[in-house]
Amino acid sequence: MEFQEFEGKSTEEAIESACAHFQVPSEQLEIEIVSVGSPGLFGLGSRKAKIRAALREDGEIGESTLAQGREILQEFLEKMHEPGRVTAEQEDDRIVLRIETEDPGVLIGKQGQTLDALQYLVTKILSKKTRKKIRITLDVEAYRARHNDALTQMALKYGEKVKRSGKAVTLSPMNPYDRRIIHLALQGDKDLKTMSRGEGLYKKVVISPARKRESQEESAASG
Amino acid sequence: MKELVKFIAQALVDHPDQVQVLEVEGEQTSVIELKVAKEDLGKVIGKQGRTARAMRTILSAASTKIRKRAVLEILE
Repeated sequence: MEFQEFEGKSTEEAIESACAHFQVPSEQLEIEIVSVGSPGLFGLGSRKAKIRAALREDGEIGESTLAQGREILQEFLEKMHEPGRVTAEQEDDRIVLRIETEDPGVLIGKQGQTLDALQYLVTKILSKKTRKKIRITLDVEAYRARHNDALTQMALKYGEKVKRSGKAVTLSPMNPYDRRIIHLALQGDKDLKTMSRGEGLYKKVVISPARKRESQEESAASG
Repeated sequence: MKELVKFIAQALVDHPDQVQVLEVEGEQTSVIELKVAKEDLGKVIGKQGRTARAMRTILSAASTKIRKRAVLEILE
Protein backbone atom coordinates (compact mmCIF):
# COMPACT_ATOMS: atom_id res chain seq x y z
CA MET A 1 0.00 0.00 0.00
CA GLU A 2 1.49 3.31 -0.99
CA PHE A 3 0.39 6.38 0.89
CA GLN A 4 0.34 9.81 -0.66
CA GLU A 5 -0.30 13.12 1.03
CA PHE A 6 -3.12 15.46 0.12
CA GLU A 7 -3.96 18.94 1.33
CA GLY A 8 -7.08 21.03 1.43
CA LYS A 9 -8.76 23.80 3.37
CA SER A 10 -10.54 21.16 5.40
CA THR A 11 -10.09 17.43 5.84
CA GLU A 12 -13.17 16.90 3.67
CA GLU A 13 -11.58 18.85 0.86
CA ALA A 14 -8.34 16.92 1.24
CA ILE A 15 -10.26 13.66 1.06
CA GLU A 16 -12.06 14.88 -2.04
CA SER A 17 -8.81 15.62 -3.79
CA ALA A 18 -7.53 12.18 -2.79
CA CYS A 19 -10.65 10.61 -4.31
CA ALA A 20 -10.12 12.62 -7.47
CA HIS A 21 -6.51 11.51 -7.64
CA PHE A 22 -7.24 7.79 -7.26
CA GLN A 23 -10.56 8.06 -9.11
CA VAL A 24 -12.42 6.01 -6.50
CA PRO A 25 -15.06 6.80 -3.85
CA SER A 26 -13.68 7.50 -0.38
CA GLU A 27 -14.86 4.10 0.91
CA GLN A 28 -12.13 2.46 -1.13
CA LEU A 29 -9.40 4.55 0.41
CA GLU A 30 -7.40 3.99 3.53
CA ILE A 31 -7.25 7.48 5.06
CA GLU A 32 -5.10 8.83 7.85
CA ILE A 33 -5.55 12.38 9.00
CA VAL A 34 -2.18 14.03 9.50
CA SER A 35 -3.40 17.43 10.62
CA VAL A 36 -6.76 19.09 10.87
CA GLY A 37 -6.68 22.46 9.17
CA SER A 38 -7.86 25.67 10.73
CA PRO A 39 -9.56 28.40 8.77
CA GLY A 40 -7.75 31.19 10.59
CA LEU A 41 -9.16 34.67 10.97
CA PHE A 42 -9.64 36.96 7.97
CA GLY A 43 -7.27 34.76 6.02
CA LEU A 44 -4.59 35.07 8.66
CA GLY A 45 -3.03 32.11 10.39
CA SER A 46 -4.92 29.57 8.37
CA ARG A 47 -3.46 26.09 8.16
CA LYS A 48 -4.19 23.54 5.55
CA ALA A 49 -5.60 20.17 6.47
CA LYS A 50 -3.33 17.31 5.54
CA ILE A 51 -4.22 13.67 5.07
CA ARG A 52 -2.49 10.55 3.90
CA ALA A 53 -4.42 8.25 1.63
CA ALA A 54 -3.83 5.00 -0.20
CA LEU A 55 -5.95 2.58 -2.15
CA ARG A 56 -7.47 -0.02 0.11
CA GLU A 57 -6.29 -3.46 -0.86
CA ASP A 58 -9.26 -5.63 -1.12
CA GLY A 59 -9.37 -8.85 0.64
CA GLU A 60 -7.13 -11.50 -0.73
CA ILE A 61 -7.82 -13.81 2.16
CA GLY A 62 -4.86 -16.15 2.20
CA GLU A 63 -4.48 -19.54 3.79
CA SER A 64 -2.48 -18.01 6.61
CA THR A 65 -5.27 -15.58 7.48
CA LEU A 66 -7.75 -18.44 7.58
CA ALA A 67 -5.44 -20.40 9.85
CA GLN A 68 -4.90 -17.37 12.08
CA GLY A 69 -8.62 -16.82 12.41
CA ARG A 70 -9.14 -20.43 13.38
CA GLU A 71 -6.36 -20.31 15.96
CA ILE A 72 -7.72 -17.15 17.58
CA LEU A 73 -11.18 -18.63 17.96
CA GLN A 74 -9.80 -21.95 19.17
CA GLU A 75 -7.79 -20.22 21.88
CA PHE A 76 -10.81 -18.09 22.76
CA LEU A 77 -12.90 -21.22 23.33
CA GLU A 78 -10.19 -22.83 25.44
CA LYS A 79 -10.01 -19.76 27.64
CA MET A 80 -13.78 -19.85 28.00
CA HIS A 81 -13.53 -23.53 28.99
CA GLU A 82 -15.86 -24.38 26.13
CA PRO A 83 -13.82 -26.85 24.12
CA GLY A 84 -14.84 -27.13 20.50
CA ARG A 85 -13.56 -27.88 17.05
CA VAL A 86 -13.19 -24.95 14.70
CA THR A 87 -13.12 -25.13 10.93
CA ALA A 88 -12.33 -22.15 8.71
CA GLU A 89 -13.42 -21.57 5.17
CA GLN A 90 -13.60 -18.66 2.75
CA GLU A 91 -16.94 -17.71 1.30
CA ASP A 92 -16.92 -14.79 -1.13
CA ASP A 93 -15.14 -11.95 0.66
CA ARG A 94 -15.53 -13.29 4.17
CA ILE A 95 -14.18 -15.95 6.46
CA VAL A 96 -16.68 -18.37 7.90
CA LEU A 97 -15.61 -20.02 11.14
CA ARG A 98 -17.74 -22.95 12.23
CA ILE A 99 -17.68 -24.33 15.73
CA GLU A 100 -18.56 -27.89 16.68
CA THR A 101 -19.20 -28.19 20.38
CA GLU A 102 -21.14 -30.28 22.84
CA ASP A 103 -22.97 -27.35 24.31
CA PRO A 104 -23.86 -24.86 21.56
CA GLY A 105 -26.37 -23.06 23.79
CA VAL A 106 -23.67 -21.40 25.88
CA LEU A 107 -21.91 -20.04 22.80
CA ILE A 108 -25.07 -18.81 21.12
CA GLY A 109 -26.60 -17.09 24.13
CA LYS A 110 -29.85 -15.22 24.37
CA GLN A 111 -30.91 -14.23 20.84
CA GLY A 112 -27.42 -15.01 19.61
CA GLN A 113 -25.86 -12.34 21.82
CA THR A 114 -22.85 -14.39 22.84
CA LEU A 115 -22.18 -15.54 19.29
CA ASP A 116 -22.37 -11.94 18.03
CA ALA A 117 -20.01 -10.74 20.77
CA LEU A 118 -17.54 -13.52 19.93
CA GLN A 119 -17.77 -12.71 16.25
CA TYR A 120 -17.16 -9.03 16.89
CA LEU A 121 -14.11 -9.65 19.09
CA VAL A 122 -12.55 -12.28 16.82
CA THR A 123 -13.01 -9.93 13.85
CA LYS A 124 -11.32 -7.10 15.76
CA ILE A 125 -8.42 -9.26 16.89
CA LEU A 126 -7.80 -10.74 13.45
CA SER A 127 -8.05 -7.35 11.73
CA LYS A 128 -5.52 -5.98 14.17
CA LYS A 129 -3.13 -8.91 13.63
CA THR A 130 -3.30 -8.80 9.84
CA ARG A 131 -3.78 -5.02 9.56
CA LYS A 132 -6.57 -5.62 7.08
CA LYS A 133 -10.28 -5.23 7.27
CA ILE A 134 -11.65 -8.72 7.39
CA ARG A 135 -15.21 -9.89 7.57
CA ILE A 136 -15.88 -12.93 9.70
CA THR A 137 -19.01 -14.94 10.25
CA LEU A 138 -19.12 -17.26 13.24
CA ASP A 139 -21.54 -20.11 13.29
CA VAL A 140 -22.49 -22.87 15.69
CA GLU A 141 -24.68 -25.76 14.60
CA ALA A 142 -26.00 -23.82 11.60
CA TYR A 143 -27.49 -21.26 14.00
CA ARG A 144 -27.06 -18.45 11.48
CA ALA A 145 -29.09 -20.20 8.81
CA ARG A 146 -31.86 -21.08 11.27
CA HIS A 147 -31.86 -17.57 12.70
CA ASN A 148 -32.03 -15.98 9.24
CA ASP A 149 -34.93 -18.23 8.29
CA ALA A 150 -36.77 -17.31 11.47
CA LEU A 151 -36.23 -13.59 10.81
CA THR A 152 -37.43 -13.91 7.22
CA GLN A 153 -40.54 -15.76 8.36
CA MET A 154 -41.22 -13.10 10.96
CA ALA A 155 -40.77 -10.33 8.38
CA LEU A 156 -43.24 -11.99 6.02
CA LYS A 157 -45.74 -12.59 8.80
CA TYR A 158 -45.70 -8.97 9.91
CA GLY A 159 -45.74 -7.87 6.28
CA GLU A 160 -49.05 -9.68 5.81
CA LYS A 161 -50.39 -8.15 8.99
CA VAL A 162 -49.49 -4.64 7.80
CA LYS A 163 -51.21 -5.28 4.48
CA ARG A 164 -54.37 -6.54 6.17
CA SER A 165 -54.62 -3.75 8.71
CA GLY A 166 -53.09 -0.95 6.66
CA LYS A 167 -51.21 0.12 9.78
CA ALA A 168 -47.47 0.27 10.30
CA VAL A 169 -45.79 -2.20 12.63
CA THR A 170 -42.62 -1.48 14.59
CA LEU A 171 -40.38 -4.45 15.38
CA SER A 172 -38.19 -4.79 18.44
CA PRO A 173 -34.66 -3.32 18.31
CA MET A 174 -32.23 -5.34 16.21
CA ASN A 175 -28.59 -5.22 15.23
CA PRO A 176 -27.61 -4.20 11.69
CA TYR A 177 -27.26 -7.76 10.35
CA ASP A 178 -30.71 -8.74 11.51
CA ARG A 179 -32.27 -5.54 10.19
CA ARG A 180 -30.69 -6.17 6.82
CA ILE A 181 -32.39 -9.56 6.65
CA ILE A 182 -35.78 -7.97 7.41
CA HIS A 183 -35.28 -5.28 4.76
CA LEU A 184 -34.20 -7.88 2.18
CA ALA A 185 -37.13 -10.16 2.97
CA LEU A 186 -39.65 -7.42 2.17
CA GLN A 187 -37.66 -5.63 -0.50
CA GLY A 188 -39.54 -7.23 -3.39
CA ASP A 189 -42.97 -6.41 -1.99
CA LYS A 190 -44.34 -3.32 -3.73
CA ASP A 191 -47.14 -2.87 -1.19
CA LEU A 192 -44.77 -2.47 1.74
CA LYS A 193 -41.88 -0.30 2.68
CA THR A 194 -39.39 -0.80 5.47
CA MET A 195 -37.14 1.63 7.26
CA SER A 196 -34.94 1.68 10.32
CA ARG A 197 -35.78 4.06 13.09
CA GLY A 198 -33.74 5.08 16.11
CA GLU A 199 -30.18 5.82 17.04
CA GLY A 200 -27.08 3.76 17.62
CA LEU A 201 -26.35 0.14 16.96
CA TYR A 202 -29.76 -1.24 17.78
CA LYS A 203 -32.55 0.28 15.74
CA LYS A 204 -36.14 -0.68 15.16
CA VAL A 205 -37.46 -1.65 11.77
CA VAL A 206 -40.78 -0.10 10.84
CA ILE A 207 -42.85 -1.95 8.26
CA SER A 208 -45.49 0.27 6.73
CA PRO A 209 -47.84 0.15 3.77
CA ALA A 210 -46.50 1.89 0.66
CA ARG A 211 -49.33 4.43 0.67
CA LYS A 212 -47.81 7.00 -1.63
CA ARG A 213 -47.69 4.72 -4.58
CA GLU A 214 -51.22 3.52 -3.88
CA SER A 215 -52.69 7.01 -3.75
CA GLN A 216 -50.77 7.98 -6.87
CA GLU A 217 -52.25 5.03 -8.69
CA GLU A 218 -55.70 5.88 -7.42
CA SER A 219 -55.46 9.47 -8.55
CA ALA A 220 -54.09 8.28 -11.88
CA ALA A 221 -57.01 5.88 -12.22
CA SER A 222 -59.61 8.46 -11.29
CA GLY A 223 -58.01 11.20 -13.39
CA MET B 1 -11.97 -15.94 33.96
CA LYS B 2 -8.92 -13.81 34.57
CA GLU B 3 -7.06 -15.58 31.80
CA LEU B 4 -9.94 -15.00 29.39
CA VAL B 5 -10.02 -11.25 29.99
CA LYS B 6 -6.25 -11.05 29.74
CA PHE B 7 -6.26 -12.93 26.44
CA ILE B 8 -8.89 -10.66 24.89
CA ALA B 9 -7.37 -7.42 26.19
CA GLN B 10 -3.84 -8.28 25.11
CA ALA B 11 -5.03 -9.13 21.63
CA LEU B 12 -6.79 -5.78 21.26
CA VAL B 13 -4.25 -3.28 22.57
CA ASP B 14 -1.03 -1.78 21.25
CA HIS B 15 0.84 -2.38 24.50
CA PRO B 16 0.03 -5.94 25.61
CA ASP B 17 2.82 -5.84 28.20
CA GLN B 18 0.94 -3.14 30.08
CA VAL B 19 -2.25 -5.15 30.46
CA GLN B 20 -2.96 -5.97 34.09
CA VAL B 21 -5.85 -8.12 35.23
CA LEU B 22 -6.82 -8.60 38.84
CA GLU B 23 -9.53 -10.89 40.10
CA VAL B 24 -11.26 -10.00 43.34
CA GLU B 25 -13.22 -13.04 44.42
CA GLY B 26 -16.40 -12.69 46.36
CA GLU B 27 -18.77 -15.35 47.54
CA GLN B 28 -21.09 -15.31 44.55
CA THR B 29 -19.57 -12.66 42.38
CA SER B 30 -16.04 -12.06 41.36
CA VAL B 31 -14.92 -8.72 40.07
CA ILE B 32 -12.33 -8.70 37.34
CA GLU B 33 -10.39 -5.49 37.12
CA LEU B 34 -8.73 -4.64 33.85
CA LYS B 35 -6.05 -2.03 33.55
CA VAL B 36 -4.42 -1.02 30.29
CA ALA B 37 -2.09 1.70 29.04
CA LYS B 38 -3.76 5.09 28.84
CA GLU B 39 -3.57 5.15 25.03
CA ASP B 40 -5.21 1.74 24.87
CA LEU B 41 -8.25 2.59 26.97
CA GLY B 42 -10.32 3.39 23.90
CA LYS B 43 -9.40 0.05 22.33
CA VAL B 44 -10.86 -2.01 25.16
CA ILE B 45 -13.94 0.17 25.45
CA GLY B 46 -14.69 0.63 21.77
CA LYS B 47 -17.13 2.83 19.93
CA GLN B 48 -20.06 3.52 22.26
CA GLY B 49 -18.70 0.88 24.61
CA ARG B 50 -19.22 -1.90 22.09
CA THR B 51 -15.99 -3.74 22.81
CA ALA B 52 -16.48 -3.52 26.58
CA ARG B 53 -20.01 -4.80 26.17
CA ALA B 54 -18.87 -7.71 24.00
CA MET B 55 -16.28 -8.66 26.63
CA ARG B 56 -18.92 -8.56 29.35
CA THR B 57 -21.26 -10.75 27.30
CA ILE B 58 -18.53 -13.33 26.76
CA LEU B 59 -17.59 -13.18 30.41
CA SER B 60 -21.09 -13.82 31.64
CA ALA B 61 -21.52 -16.68 29.16
CA ALA B 62 -18.31 -18.28 30.35
CA SER B 63 -19.20 -17.83 34.01
CA THR B 64 -22.65 -19.43 33.87
CA LYS B 65 -21.05 -22.86 33.83
CA ILE B 66 -19.15 -22.35 37.04
CA ARG B 67 -22.26 -20.79 38.55
CA LYS B 68 -20.51 -17.67 39.61
CA ARG B 69 -21.17 -14.21 38.31
CA ALA B 70 -18.20 -12.32 36.95
CA VAL B 71 -18.22 -8.58 36.56
CA LEU B 72 -15.74 -6.70 34.42
CA GLU B 73 -14.47 -3.35 35.61
CA ILE B 74 -12.24 -1.32 33.36
CA LEU B 75 -10.01 0.90 35.47
CA GLU B 76 -8.83 4.27 34.28
